[in-house]
Amino acid sequence: MAYLDINNVVKRYEEHTALAGVSMQVEQGTIYGLLGPNGAGKSTLIRIINRILAADEGTVTLNGKQMTDNDITHIGYLPEERGLYKKMKVGDHIVYLGRLKGMTKADAVASMHWWLDRFDLKEWENKKVENLSKGMQQKVQFIGTVIHRPPLLIFDEPFSGFDPVNAEQLKVEILALRDQGSTILFSTHNMASVEEVCQQITLLNHAQVVLTGSVDEVKQQHKKNIIAVQTPDSIEPNPALYTLLPPDPTKKHDTYIKLAQGVNVRDAITWLNEHYQLTGFTEVLPSMNEIFIETVKSKNTENNE
Amino acid sequence: MNKLGLIIAREYMSIVGRKSFILMTLGMPLLFILIMAVPIGLAWLNDKGSDTQQIAVIDETGRYAAALKSDDMYNFVAIKGDTVTNAREFYDKANGSLDAIIIIPRDVDSTGVVNIFSEGTITPALVSNVRSILADTIESAHLAAMGIPNIQEMVDKAHVDVDVRSIKWSEAGGEQESSTDIAMGLGLMLSIITYMFVLMYGAMIMNSVIEEKTNRIVEVVVSSCRPFQLMLGKIIGVGLVGLTQMAIWIVLLAIVGTIAGSTLGVNAMSSPDAIAAAGTAVDSGDMNSFMREVMSINYMPIVLNFILYFIGGYLLYSSLFAGLGSAVDQASDSSQFTTPVILIMLIAFYAGMACMENPSGPTAVWCSIIPFTSPVVMMIRLPFGVPFWQLALSLVLLFGTALAITWLAARIYRRGILHYGQKASFKDLFKWMK
Repeated sequence: MAYLDINNVVKRYEEHTALAGVSMQVEQGTIYGLLGPNGAGKSTLIRIINRILAADEGTVTLNGKQMTDNDITHIGYLPEERGLYKKMKVGDHIVYLGRLKGMTKADAVASMHWWLDRFDLKEWENKKVENLSKGMQQKVQFIGTVIHRPPLLIFDEPFSGFDPVNAEQLKVEILALRDQGSTILFSTHNMASVEEVCQQITLLNHAQVVLTGSVDEVKQQHKKNIIAVQTPDSIEPNPALYTLLPPDPTKKHDTYIKLAQGVNVRDAITWLNEHYQLTGFTEVLPSMNEIFIETVKSKNTENNE
Repeated sequence: MNKLGLIIAREYMSIVGRKSFILMTLGMPLLFILIMAVPIGLAWLNDKGSDTQQIAVIDETGRYAAALKSDDMYNFVAIKGDTVTNAREFYDKANGSLDAIIIIPRDVDSTGVVNIFSEGTITPALVSNVRSILADTIESAHLAAMGIPNIQEMVDKAHVDVDVRSIKWSEAGGEQESSTDIAMGLGLMLSIITYMFVLMYGAMIMNSVIEEKTNRIVEVVVSSCRPFQLMLGKIIGVGLVGLTQMAIWIVLLAIVGTIAGSTLGVNAMSSPDAIAAAGTAVDSGDMNSFMREVMSINYMPIVLNFILYFIGGYLLYSSLFAGLGSAVDQASDSSQFTTPVILIMLIAFYAGMACMENPSGPTAVWCSIIPFTSPVVMMIRLPFGVPFWQLALSLVLLFGTALAITWLAARIYRRGILHYGQKASFKDLFKWMK
């Protein structure tokens, strides 16, 4: 039984359908990537999970139970477009967000101090939010999201607006939260971060799920049977087994070959090994970025036809 | 504390904690005092600063010039009538040392006409001064000329100021004295308070909604509570701010009143004894009857109804402002939605003014029953007494409408706060209500 189970959710607006029967299962203690181009329906789905919007059809269950308004205390949500009350003091603000999520005042204050300390923001506790730099405000926002230690965390583009150093710190915190048992739903365009942290992904396009599975599975499914062969020799084409691909100027020692239909890696490598002096070979898997673009583009052309 | 309580507390503190709130709360009464005090002070300075005017009095009758007594402002110099042939010549000869010449003609007793000549400005104060002094003196002289003993006392006795008292019959058969002027003043005050409060704090709610939307905090907040809670929390929080402000003003007013009262030697009019004492101390009976009239109004139902209408009107308009505020991204775009609301408020205000002369006329009755105008118009009518069925109908309609509007505004709000980019139109708002 998945921790967060989204089953055939439909959301219609006056002019368009934002979600046309989306299903998705998120296992407990994993980081799940929710991907998709702008307007695919990610934000709508996230808002439905947060109970900001109501689904027209379908169900969302959390830990085996149909979600109710009370479940929002179990969720921490960092929206893509962020903001804080500029005139509030940092400490008061974090405590306010924590208490809105159902914490007692004492718990919220203790947790606020712990997190401010962790992010080196201690001396800013009594400063107004408007006096903080953008990066610091982002950290305060992150603390406000996790202060109540929710079992389910939803991050919408968490790394946008962070410099690489702070982004790294944030990544460490997110992984630590996962290791402590939190389930994390991660919505992003940043494919590099998907490969780094996500175990499972779902790709939405035009209100529908177009791709789902573990990152490894998805990569295997989309591999193009391309092999990078390391050899000092110059390899000649062999249409029965493979075709040559244009070289990558940044990797002088690699020759890229694409296997012909029905040829397995072992046969090709055995043949090559007999004819050339091989020093090594690796199977080239597509990056999530390539898979994303390819999937979205192909679906779009299908739709246009 | 539950979520609604948290939201109310934050909203309240976010406004009350601001420097601008403190400045505004203390500044408004100061501004008021300044507005009233400056003209009086300037007039005083004006009088004080000007030199004593030299005024020649040519009294052809030879009997009345002595009545015009010199003081700081005017120095009256009597000149024998027969020594002067031409007033103009005399004025010119004085070479600017004279400010004006008063000529009391020989036939003043029959015509009652007195002339003042000058090349400069003849002030209204001088004219009214001369008029009242000469009128009294000439009248007394006429009476004396009749040769009837004690005529002056007889006239004084016969002199009557007619005091028209309005007495209202209650349905129970009792009688109650009421004053139209005081009722009018009270009604006007209550309606202005309602009008100002609703507009000021309605705008405050709208700004607060827009601010949350602009700085994007709203999505985080509504992921922790229902949008309706957030909206209601704002409305109540800002309403409490308004009440706080009013309470501070009332306390300030009481302090200023007490200080002013004690410096003027009049006790604070809190007990009937004090009022009676003040009434005898201040020689005229006017004060007494004024106080009697002020006391004669039955305040309990007025205060009770004022509070009810105030809450209903505030709820109605503030939720309207909150709903409309949620549909815009920035404050500068809000006027397209606020203009109609402010227009309705203005209509209510003018309807209230118009109904003052005849608080039981058909316009007054209808406007005090229609929910959008009733909070203001009913205030005008309240001190005059309103039939129970009209009050009941009006209140039921007001609260029914206020709740309906709150419900609709919440539906708009729910959609509006997450709507960015393209400017929403009234058409969109109607769509969101569904």
